[in-house]
Amino acid sequence: MALSSFLNLLRRVRLVESVNDVIKIVERYAVEKGSIKPDRMLFVVKPESVRKLFEELVDKVGYERFYLSTVVGSDMKEENRFRLDYYVVILPEERTIVIRTYIPRDQPVIDSIVDVVPAALSAENETYDLLGIVFKGNPALRRGFFVSSDVVDKGVYPLRKDAAGV
Amino acid sequence: MAVTKIVEVPISAEVPIGPQHPALHEPLLLRVYADGEEVVRVEINTGYNHRGIEKLCEKNTFYKDIFIVGRVCGICNAVHANCYVRAVEQILGIEPNNRAKYLRVLSMELERIHSHMLINAVMAENIGFENLFMQIMLDREMVMKAKEILTGSRVMADFMMVGGVRRDIDDVKRARLKDILLKLRPKVEYYKKVFEEDETIFKRLAGVGVVKRRDALAHGLLGPVARASGIRIDSRASDKYDAYGDIPFKVITRDEGDTWARMMVRWDETLESIEMSIYILDKLPSDGNPVPDERKLPRRFPPGEAFTRVEAPRGELTYYVMSDGKSLNPYRVKIRTPSFNNIINSTFMYLKHTIADVPVILTSLDPCISCMERATVIDLEKGVKYTVPFKVLAGGKP
Amino acid sequence: MRRPRLLELTLKNLFRKPATIEYPRKKTPVESDYRGLQYADLTKCTGCSICALECPANAIAMTPIPQGYEAPKTNPRRLYPLINYGKCVFCYRCVTVCPFNAYITTPKYDLANAEKTINSSPLSLSTLRKG
Repeated sequence: MALSSFLNLLRRVRLVESVNDVIKIVERYAVEKGSIKPDRMLFVVKPESVRKLFEELVDKVGYERFYLSTVVGSDMKEENRFRLDYYVVILPEERTIVIRTYIPRDQPVIDSIVDVVPAALSAENETYDLLGIVFKGNPALRRGFFVSSDVVDKGVYPLRKDAAGV
Repeated sequence: MAVTKIVEVPISAEVPIGPQHPALHEPLLLRVYADGEEVVRVEINTGYNHRGIEKLCEKNTFYKDIFIVGRVCGICNAVHANCYVRAVEQILGIEPNNRAKYLRVLSMELERIHSHMLINAVMAENIGFENLFMQIMLDREMVMKAKEILTGSRVMADFMMVGGVRRDIDDVKRARLKDILLKLRPKVEYYKKVFEEDETIFKRLAGVGVVKRRDALAHGLLGPVARASGIRIDSRASDKYDAYGDIPFKVITRDEGDTWARMMVRWDETLESIEMSIYILDKLPSDGNPVPDERKLPRRFPPGEAFTRVEAPRGELTYYVMSDGKSLNPYRVKIRTPSFNNIINSTFMYLKHTIADVPVILTSLDPCISCMERATVIDLEKGVKYTVPFKVLAGGKP
Repeated sequence: MRRPRLLELTLKNLFRKPATIEYPRKKTPVESDYRGLQYADLTKCTGCSICALECPANAIAMTPIPQGYEAPKTNPRRLYPLINYGKCVFCYRCVTVCPFNAYITTPKYDLANAEKTINSSPLSLSTLRKG
């Protein structure tokens, strides 16, 4: 009984370490910190360091200890920029952290991470089709898999706040 | 006449699977490139059924969205609504009482039972076992009835509301629900045994579409697909939302990683869900009315953002809801369904298998096209002369 | 490996009566609180149009009560919610937001009929006296 509780404690200590590993890496790139309800740590990073961050994550902690859950792109029209949130789930205890970056609205380009983290494929394709954020280096970007062809012909990105006719 | 040109006949063919009924009766096109019988490349083409739910959510009020997101997917409507409602509750700072939490979990677990039974039945049909398909679907009707007793409708639950649920159950209903679940349990145990012991099923599914642990994580596969590859992810266990912190349950994992393991994970989860539902019905707390008065819920929303996860039958479903505090509508709603990751990111799974295995693998992913209707992969390489074997061109190893 | 006796089950089913319900000759049994057709009780309705604003499917249109019906004094604008059942998703949001509990719910689910339009006007107007 005592042994098992001791082992349990050991396991918990190891788990905490695994989260801290990832957070330590992300923290070095962060320019600002915050949180999203309920209890998701938020790190704001520069757009050019997103790719470097994921490269380092894969390099140092490996694929087995985290996965990319989703990428949320939002149009912050009043601030004249797009916001990109990368939601990363840290295993094995499934803690979700958010890596947030802002890119200018008139030049929405960011480096793709699809070759580093293959899980980004679906999310990047979707964000491109709906918001028009170009992920440089993603070979699969294409208009029209999500929206219908008449919207594509108009050149409208439906989730932009100033999108007309959708 | 001297020969000036050699026309090489490509030795591989493009086989379209879908867009009508590739696995389930939903539109999805798999472009399968085959070298003989062997699959060398798969492209997924969707876009047959886009409904623009996220934009629709931005244009409607927070409360209307509860019903809109419930209609993203018919099979898992309660989990969609639950995930959205919890995000809204986080923004508002409301917490439902325990009875409401238990009832929410009950509706979601009933949904998991019928969803897993459906996909197992479809798998039986796809491998030519129509008799078993009919049997499972017949017994699935019992769960649908249970859902009708609980929520008032067989499929569309519309059960979640900010601050609680939309209807309560009395002791008569409780006894009836428990009776149904107790009757269902031996049947599910029997079907599990069929999948375990029947040679035809085992031979058809075992060793097909193996996903290694590392690949599953790198490609972001979720739910039963990941759990069958030995990854212990389950947002019910980690986020402990609603009443999942109080209700005992096991997270089912298997190490085989093949199609058969994925189906077995689903059967084991079904049994686990039945146990959980019975536990809920036995231990249902009575700390007040779980049904909030919808006329008195707050109209104004403070600025804020919330990111909630829920374990849908197909895996982790996430909602991001943002309120800017100025309007009655959400500023941004982002839905990421499990099928979105599981289907689009999984083209690597089909390689090296035969064409006949493609529908089996696709079915084992439990594709929910209406859920994921967003994506495609890789345009065709146009204008390339087919002077090299197609297998090489398609990216396979020569 | 012991094989489950699927054959036995198959043979048994040959002599069982079919599980299929022959709708519409036989009605599908539903619960008494099944979310079926709902309509406004016009003796209680005040024509405030909250249900029409809250309807997620936009299926409710506020319509004037036709001449020849006695509208209650609480309904000065003589409006009533006309539900288009073709659009309705039966979420019962209108039932739960109504400040006067004016909605009557039924477990009726069969929408198909010989008339061209399927809406709540015959049901709603039947709650009013002709005068």
